[in-house]
This record gives sequence, C-alpha cells and structure tokens, in this order.
Amino acid sequence: MGVILDVSDLHIEFHDHEKPETVVHDFDLMLEEGEIVGLVGESGSGKSMSAMAIAGLLSRHEISKEGKILYNGTNLLTCSREELRSYQGKDIAMIFQEPMTSLNPSKRIGWQVEESVRIHRSDIDAKTRKEMAVTQLSRAGLPDPEKVYMQYPHELSGGMRQRVMIAAAMILNPRILIADEPTTALDVMVQAQIIDLLREINREYHTSIIFISHDLSLVNQLCHRVLVMHHGRVVEAGRTREIFRNPQKEYTMKLIGSIPKVRLDDVPPDRQEMAGDILSVRGLTVSYQSGGGLFRKKQENLVLKGIDLTLHRGEILALVGESGCGKSTLAKAVTGMNSRYSGSIELSGDRPQMVFQDPYSALNPSHTIGWLLEEPLRIRGGMTDADRNARVLEMMDMVRLDRELIHRYPGQLSGGQRQRVCIAAALMLKPEILLADEPVSALDVTIQVEILALLKRLRAEMGLSILFISHDLRTVYQLCDTVAIMKGGVIIEKGPVNRIYREPEQAYTRQLLKAAGIAVPGAAV
Amino acid sequence: MRIKHFFRLKNNPGKYNVTLLTGTIITGCVLLLLLIGVIHTPYDTEAMDTANKFAGFSLRHLMGTDNFGRDVFSRVIRGGQTTLKIAVGTVFIGLLGGTVIGAVTGYFGGLVDEILMRINDTIFAFPSVLLALVIVSLFGSGTIHVIWALGIAFIPSFARMVRSEFLRYRDSDFISVARMQGAKSVRIMFLHIFPNTLPVLLSAVMIGFNNAVLAEAGLSYLGIGVQPPEPSLGRMLSEAQSYLATAPLMSAGPGLMIILMVLGFSLLGDGISE
Repeated sequence: MGVILDVSDLHIEFHDHEKPETVVHDFDLMLEEGEIVGLVGESGSGKSMSAMAIAGLLSRHEISKEGKILYNGTNLLTCSREELRSYQGKDIAMIFQEPMTSLNPSKRIGWQVEESVRIHRSDIDAKTRKEMAVTQLSRAGLPDPEKVYMQYPHELSGGMRQRVMIAAAMILNPRILIADEPTTALDVMVQAQIIDLLREINREYHTSIIFISHDLSLVNQLCHRVLVMHHGRVVEAGRTREIFRNPQKEYTMKLIGSIPKVRLDDVPPDRQEMAGDILSVRGLTVSYQSGGGLFRKKQENLVLKGIDLTLHRGEILALVGESGCGKSTLAKAVTGMNSRYSGSIELSGDRPQMVFQDPYSALNPSHTIGWLLEEPLRIRGGMTDADRNARVLEMMDMVRLDRELIHRYPGQLSGGQRQRVCIAAALMLKPEILLADEPVSALDVTIQVEILALLKRLRAEMGLSILFISHDLRTVYQLCDTVAIMKGGVIIEKGPVNRIYREPEQAYTRQLLKAAGIAVPGAAV
Repeated sequence: MRIKHFFRLKNNPGKYNVTLLTGTIITGCVLLLLLIGVIHTPYDTEAMDTANKFAGFSLRHLMGTDNFGRDVFSRVIRGGQTTLKIAVGTVFIGLLGGTVIGAVTGYFGGLVDEILMRINDTIFAFPSVLLALVIVSLFGSGTIHVIWALGIAFIPSFARMVRSEFLRYRDSDFISVARMQGAKSVRIMFLHIFPNTLPVLLSAVMIGFNNAVLAEAGLSYLGIGVQPPEPSLGRMLSEAQSYLATAPLMSAGPGLMIILMVLGFSLLGDGISE
C-alpha cells in the first residue's frame, strides 16, 4: 500500500474580481492506493475546487494555484500540458454530479465510453475497443450492455447515465477515481446502488477514490477516511469512524448533528390533535398526452391512478416516492396549476400555496424581495400601500428574515435566505395549506435543519397544514405526522409515521427505508 | 446620492462604471446639440453660398460647406434631428410591435403562436430595406412614412427575440408561483416575465438603433427616404459620396455625427448591463 497521490499546501485563488479571492487554503491530502477518501463540506467550502485541481481541470487564467500535487513523481500543477493530458482519463478519471449534462446528447453511449481508449491507446483496434466498452458497461451493472452501447443518453434514466459515466471513467482502469457528488441528483434507491458500485470497484480493482459529498451519511457508509472542509480550509481529517464517533471541531459536530436521525426506539414525536379535514382528494386521476404531432396520434399516459388522500387541519403529511411516481403531478393538481384531471379535490378555505425545491429558480431575479413578497397582496387588491408594507415586514419577521433584505434582489441572497423568502411569499395570503415540494433537498445540511425548524414553528404558530413532498425518509421522520408512500401513480401505503417506520407492510416501503439507512425492526432484509 | 450610485458598478461599488459614464456624456452632448439646433443653428440650413463651395474646416464653417455652399455643421444638426427621429421612431414601433407579438406567441403558444409566427416569418423573408421600399412606394415618401416602413420591417426580429425569452421563462418556477398567487396572464407577461427580458432587449434596441440609422441612410440614398431639401445624415452622406474624390471632408461631418450617435447609444447599452 503506497502513497499514490500526494497533495501538499494546495492554494487556489480566483482573480476575476477586483480583490483576489482565496477559495482553498493549505489543502493537504495523502491518498493511498485502494483508499476511499471523503471530502465533506457545504457549498462554497472548496471541496470541488480541490478535486478539480487534482483532476487538472482548473486551467483558466483567472485562477492561480500554488503548492504541489504529486502523482507518479510529477507535479501536476507545473508539468507540461502534454504530460498532464497523458494522465487525465487514463490514470486519473472523474465523474460528475449531473449525469443529465455530463454526457454528450448527440453521441451514442458506446462512442462516449470508448473515448478515452481512443485518446490514450491508439494501439487498440475498434473491435477490441467495443469489447472493452461492453464489458465495462456490464460491469457497471447495466442490463443488456450491447443495446445500451448503441443508445443515446436521452434514452436512459438518470441512474443508468451515472452508470455509463462510471463505465467511461473506469474503462482504462484508472488508479484514481474522483467522484464529485455522484449521487446527489439521483433517487435514494439509485443512490444506494451507485454507492455499492463504487465500493465494488474499489474492492475489485483497488482503485483509490476521492468521494466528494455534502451528504455525511453516504460518506460514513463508503469512505475510509474523511476530510471536513469549511471556508476553503480542511478543519478536521481522520478515519471516518473516529470522526463520526468523536468529532473534535465545532463545525464537524454541527455537520454531524444536522444529519436527520431516526431512532425508532425513541418516544414518538409529539403529535398534534387533528381536527377535521382540510383537504380531501378522492379518486384523482391525471393523464398526460405525449408524442403527439401533426401526423402522429397522441398517446395517453396515466400518471396518477385514482389517488385518495386526506389532509387534516394542522397535520404535516408526507408524500414519499421516487422521481416519476407522480408526486409533483399530484401537487400541481392540488394547487390548481393543472385542471385537467378526473376525480375530486375538496378544499376548505383558500387555494393552497406552494414552495418549490429550488429556491434559485423560484424567485423572479428581476424584482426585489419586498416587491416579490408584496405581489400576492397587490394581486388580491383591497389594501393600501402602507398596510401591504406592514404585512411584508410582519411576514419577514415571522420567517426570521432580516428586514434589511427588503431592497435586495434574490441574486444577493444565500440559498437558505431565498427559501425563507419563498416560504414567506407562499404565506402572504395566509393560506391554510402549504405544499412543499422537496423544499430542503437543494440546500446544505445545516440550512436544511433551519428550514425544517421554521416549518414546524409555522405549523405551531399559524396552525398551518403542510403537504410535504420528499424522497428523503429521514427528513420526513423529523417533520411529519403521516406518510403516504407513492409508486407508479398509486399510494401503496399510508399511515402515521410511527407505524410506517416500524411496521411497513409493503416490500417497496421496506426497500425505501433500507436505502435511507433506516433499520426496520424485525424485517428480514 | 442616487445619481452617484447609478454610475457605480453593481458588483464593485467602489469603482465607477466608465462605460456608462462615457456613454451618458457622449449621448448627452449629442442630444443637447440637437436640442439647441431646434431653436438655433449657426446658418440657415438651406442658404446656398455658391461662391463658397466645398470649403474645408474653419471657424466660420466648423464642418466646411457642401456642393451648394451650405453650412455642413448646421445641416448635420438638422439632419441629426431627422435621423434621430427616424431611428427612435423605428425602434419604438419595432419594439412595441415585436414585444406584443413575441410576448403573446411565446407565452400562449399553440395556434396563436403558429399563425403569428408564420406571418412573422413571411415578413422576415424579405430584406427589411426592400420591404420598406414597397411601403414607401405605396404610401409615399417622407419622414413619417420612412419611420412606419422601417418600424414594421423591424418588428419580426424583435418579435423573435422576445418570443424566445418568453418561452424560456414561461414554465419557470417563479412564474408558477405568480400563477398560484392568482396573477392574470397579462400581469404575468408584463410584470413578471418582461423585466427579465430587458437585458437582451436593451442590446437589441441598441443594435436596432444602429441598423435604423444605416437603413435610413440607405433609403435616402435610393431617393425614397427623406425628401430634399430636408437634410438627414444618411442623405448627406450619399450626397457627399459623389464628391468623395474631390472634397473628401464633406462626408466627415455627417459621418462623425453618426459615429457619435451610435457609439453613445452602444456604450449606454453596455454600461447599463454592467
């Protein structure tokens, strides 16, 4: 077991603003052969920058790098471009977060998987190349690799694309694999499979892996060693087990503390008394027409098949399922964004308001926070300017937003602040029901905790009922009273959180719980 | 305080926005000159002085005299007014028509989109100068008709731009939010989506403005634009072109004016987006 990569005093500086901005300070990493090292931190902590520097992908002129990245006796920061290229893709390979955009949509899968062979091994002929690619695809766990070889990226699901990326990265058996948030864009079940695949690759080929993630529980499952980064510095490093058991630094403790924990033997969270229905959905069926053209017949796709759902006053109900199960379609029907459905949706009170997953796209970038919060009141009308302004300030206090932010634009706010603005905007008209579509999954863990606490407090203070859409069963356990598990447009199981988590009836629910790392008592899995 | 703030860079408030400042100064000077020209010009723009043809630059005639001995500086001011009127009018018509058509087609899509965009394509298929030529020959020449002709010819390019921007934002989350808050279509189109198209629209306006100045020059050169004796920068240039070999300085005045107008507006546009 020798040291395969030695990074010392890595210093990365950006020069595209007036003042140079240091994004990574004194980064050190000794990567041993066959080791999996986790780089953990929140967005902006410099973890991706460090990894990109190792992969030799930071070559823009506005960026200056100092320090040493030693691989094979060569400093990758100072060696010639030719030499760097001879390692890239062959000895050091990288996979990215977004499998939807990291594959070229106009090239067949096979061509893309073979690309690094074509570049580095011109001695290998086309036939062998294809064999290699097909072998890699099947190793990456893709069923029917011959067929996948001829397909285009858009024909594959997100999980399959990430497998293709891994196959392409692994085709020349690199010694170092850098995985930058490889599972963040994927469903929980698929996440678990990709993690398994990475572990397998590490075991079989002895590939060293640098695993970058903001999800500490994944790092805990996979990595031997962890580097915790904060504001461009490594604040703590050590063996995974020790760090998780006995964190030394305050920041690490905060990070670990913000992992949603599910302890089923705990006393169940205090549940409120439910009084009456506020939303009742009966036999909701939604179908989309697709593939229609001028000369082609339209196809009917059933997305929701007879959904029955009841939300009680003051209840937080979770809708859990993988992408494509119809969660968002249900939300659209309930909020009235889609009115082409059959079945009935009965609401008592106003139309429910919705909070979206991505606070970056849910706020109009060309208006100030104050304008955005005032807009629902303006639309409804019947209030004076002063009254409206007072309401805006009141609501900003409610969601704990600094009043100073009223004249700022969304672009000047952090992710957490934006999500608070989104929640405030949704609550301006005092709706009784709030729909939250994965409201925390785009946020950093420590921010997630704050937003969940905010939702809980709003429920207590305003008597809000919340329909919480999520794929993360751990978050759901922290927040919700009732869970409905959805699969293929049907609710397959629903009940109080405690019942579902302790005694799931459906095999699918059990799988979801397992993928979320929640041990079901007495389950034979 | 506010004005001072306006000229500072958005992402770096310690520094002045030099582009915007220069653009404002140039445009400001040009507009001031043209404005003064409404009340007073050094010479009568039509007064001929045959004894003093093709004079070079001097204190008496800042930009010399033309082939009839008329004062070029005075004519540049009057011609600048005409050209500015035409350019602004053209861009205004093009922008207004283009925004409405682009917004409606981009936002609603479907049959409305198909019909309007096919008409748009048809207009687009003709070179804008040719189209303007047809309109002018149907309705007669003169400043007002030139404005209408060029304006209509400019609508399709604006419509396309606005439409693609509206398509981009139509299904975004923040529009869904506005819809859920109960905002009506017109409100969403003009209060929620439109401000987001401004950066693109602004640069389109600047390019459109420059194109309008050039198109006016082209039409006047063909003799169907602004009719003599009314001067316009375009016509002055085309007149000067005949004497380019013998009196090259005659084209300098109107040329300089066009450069200043176009440069000022371009810098203004760039500066605002900074």
